Amino acid sequence: MIRPVVIFLAVTKNWIRSRSGLFFSIMFPVLLLLVFGAIFSGGGGGGASTLFVQNLDRNPGGTATQLSVGFVDALNSTKTFTIKDVPADSDAKVWARNNLGPLGGNIRIVIISQGFQDDVLNGTLKVRVGISYSTLNTTYQYFAPYLSDTEKWAYEQGLAQMRQYYENLADRRTSLTIALDASDQSGAVIKNIVMNVANAFNYHIIGATSVIEFTDESVTSNRYGAVDYYLPGIIAAFIMTNGIIALTSNTTEFKRRGIIKRLSITPLTKFDWIIGNVLSQTLLSLMLTAIMIVVGWIVFNVQAIPDALTVIMIFLGSVMFSGLGMILGGLVKDVEAASALGNAIAFPMMFLSGTYFPMDFMPSYLQSVSRVLPLTYFSEGLRYALIYRYTEGVLTNMAVVSALAVAFIILGSVVTRWKEK
Amino acid sequence: MANTVVEVRSLVKQYGSLNAVDDISFDLYQGEVFAFLGPNGAGKTTTVEILECIRPLTKGTAKVFGYDVTKSEDVKEIKKRIGVLPQEFNALDKLTVKENIDLIGGMYERKIDTMEVIRLLDLADKAKAKFETLSGGLKQRVGVAAALVNDPQLVFLDEPTTGLDPKARRDVWVVIENLKKLGKTVFLTTHYMEEAQVLADRIAVINKGRIAVIGSPQDLISQYGGRKILVVRKGSRELAKILQDKYGSTMFNHGGDVIVKVDDVKEMWQVLSTLTEMKMDKEIEIQAPTIEDVFLKVVGGRITEEGELK
Repeated sequence: MIRPVVIFLAVTKNWIRSRSGLFFSIMFPVLLLLVFGAIFSGGGGGGASTLFVQNLDRNPGGTATQLSVGFVDALNSTKTFTIKDVPADSDAKVWARNNLGPLGGNIRIVIISQGFQDDVLNGTLKVRVGISYSTLNTTYQYFAPYLSDTEKWAYEQGLAQMRQYYENLADRRTSLTIALDASDQSGAVIKNIVMNVANAFNYHIIGATSVIEFTDESVTSNRYGAVDYYLPGIIAAFIMTNGIIALTSNTTEFKRRGIIKRLSITPLTKFDWIIGNVLSQTLLSLMLTAIMIVVGWIVFNVQAIPDALTVIMIFLGSVMFSGLGMILGGLVKDVEAASALGNAIAFPMMFLSGTYFPMDFMPSYLQSVSRVLPLTYFSEGLRYALIYRYTEGVLTNMAVVSALAVAFIILGSVVTRWKEK
Repeated sequence: MANTVVEVRSLVKQYGSLNAVDDISFDLYQGEVFAFLGPNGAGKTTTVEILECIRPLTKGTAKVFGYDVTKSEDVKEIKKRIGVLPQEFNALDKLTVKENIDLIGGMYERKIDTMEVIRLLDLADKAKAKFETLSGGLKQRVGVAAALVNDPQLVFLDEPTTGLDPKARRDVWVVIENLKKLGKTVFLTTHYMEEAQVLADRIAVINKGRIAVIGSPQDLISQYGGRKILVVRKGSRELAKILQDKYGSTMFNHGGDVIVKVDDVKEMWQVLSTLTEMKMDKEIEIQAPTIEDVFLKVVGGRITEEGELK
């Protein structure tokens, strides 16, 4: 059997039989996928936010007015909130704090002020009269040349009376109070939803309809969920950590225990050693990818199906990060330093390469930094291959990853010490 | 003289201004057990690793089977022909004994059956045990098995018994004696005097990178070991005086023993005759000098259990 294959089999067996190695290489990424999936898939029903609503708009009998109840129903229809009614005679903030429930959370309160219905009706009437006056006036201006003087006089009298009526209507507007915690990270989203509901309610009352309609479409040929978009990033990030952290630590540990020295006394060359380790990392990466996708299928109904380009991309990414791991393993002497160095490189790269959140969220100088990180190209290439099926994008990123893979393997061979000093 | 397997001439290894190996020359002959005896830091492992082609030399020449350790084409030939048990041997923890030996065996084009080596080292019942579960002595035996899997002509055993308990140490000694019976040439490094004396055909005493003396244990002892000692347990001052007057070199120690140093066997018999004539019924012990005495003489110190010179 050829020597790299012997190394590949031995290193792989040693890894598969190590519980901690198996946990951090396979189980931990799967757990992270489950957590990410649970957060971003939006499923499960019970995730609605609590919204406290205090309705101060009451009829003389003490019951809530018809329009204020209608507004609360509109909020409820979004299915975004679990509405909790705050008694009209209590301090809304104190009551909400006391009734937040055992798990706590953010306090979000909407207060419907007294006179809401009257103000809405009055405001609606004024808007409608204004629109009617404007329409009649425009019509009159258009047809006036064809009317007799008597007809003109009658029309103008009518318009003047209508305008007088419009001006006599009070210019009343109603307001809603939204109370949020300044530290509430979802506060802006909650406020936008409430404002959208208020606008829709407003249009409905005055009998207007929206003239611009949105059609919601996916940019990909298939209909993907949020987890589909995170999956390639998580896979790429853990292929990277397996290469940089696990391989660096293993190499350093083998070096410390004299295993590499023992092998160097045999006819094994350091290139054979590196190829054997790269093959082992590639197998690990393919196993990780397969398990992640299967878990994604079963738990989150993920649609992504790997094709040949995906497999090639994973192979090249594994080679690239194995090479980087070999470089680091060659540079450091002890396992602790290897682990620290691996973490110091892997974690910033993980967060700056658009694996967990889009690079567009980052300031421009950080986007420039991310463009020099190997993980950016690997993760982007994998996303194009697995999700977008954008061959040109895959090939561009694949070219960068291939070049880096060759460079890292060559540099790894140079810094891997096969002889004592 | 048998064939020369290793030929070292004026070998120097420098680390900065330190000469770890300082102008040493020696030969190793086919089928012998050759021991490098010296304290930690004496240059034993450095020399061995130069011969194993994993450490470059600074000056001089070193040849193994006639191949030069500094030439890359020759290195390939040397690596095929040698077996090595490195200092503090380790293997892959999660692999079994057989798998670890297979791993080393897989590096060679020519190798012998793994199970044959396992049986030779009496490891058959541990063949499926994971390396991490073995005791220190068994791990060393696995290391020796791995060193033999390519059927080498020359076996380097670098401190094979360091850190082992007495029983495990004796087990390794048996293994080394068996290697000699198999006709292997063995290059042993050790800081244990007894180990070198029991196992080696020839010993090189090395200290501070230089070889102090080299030769067979018997030659070294007779040349540097000093006089034999005859001890009369629980003797008396009077007896000590009688023997002193007759033979000289006699002393009475704090333990009440009378110690007489004699030059040769003839003189020893004369002392024994004197004691017989005196109808002496005390316990008598004859102590021959050892390699430890040689070491003390040529180096001027002793080696502790940990390998330090004091």
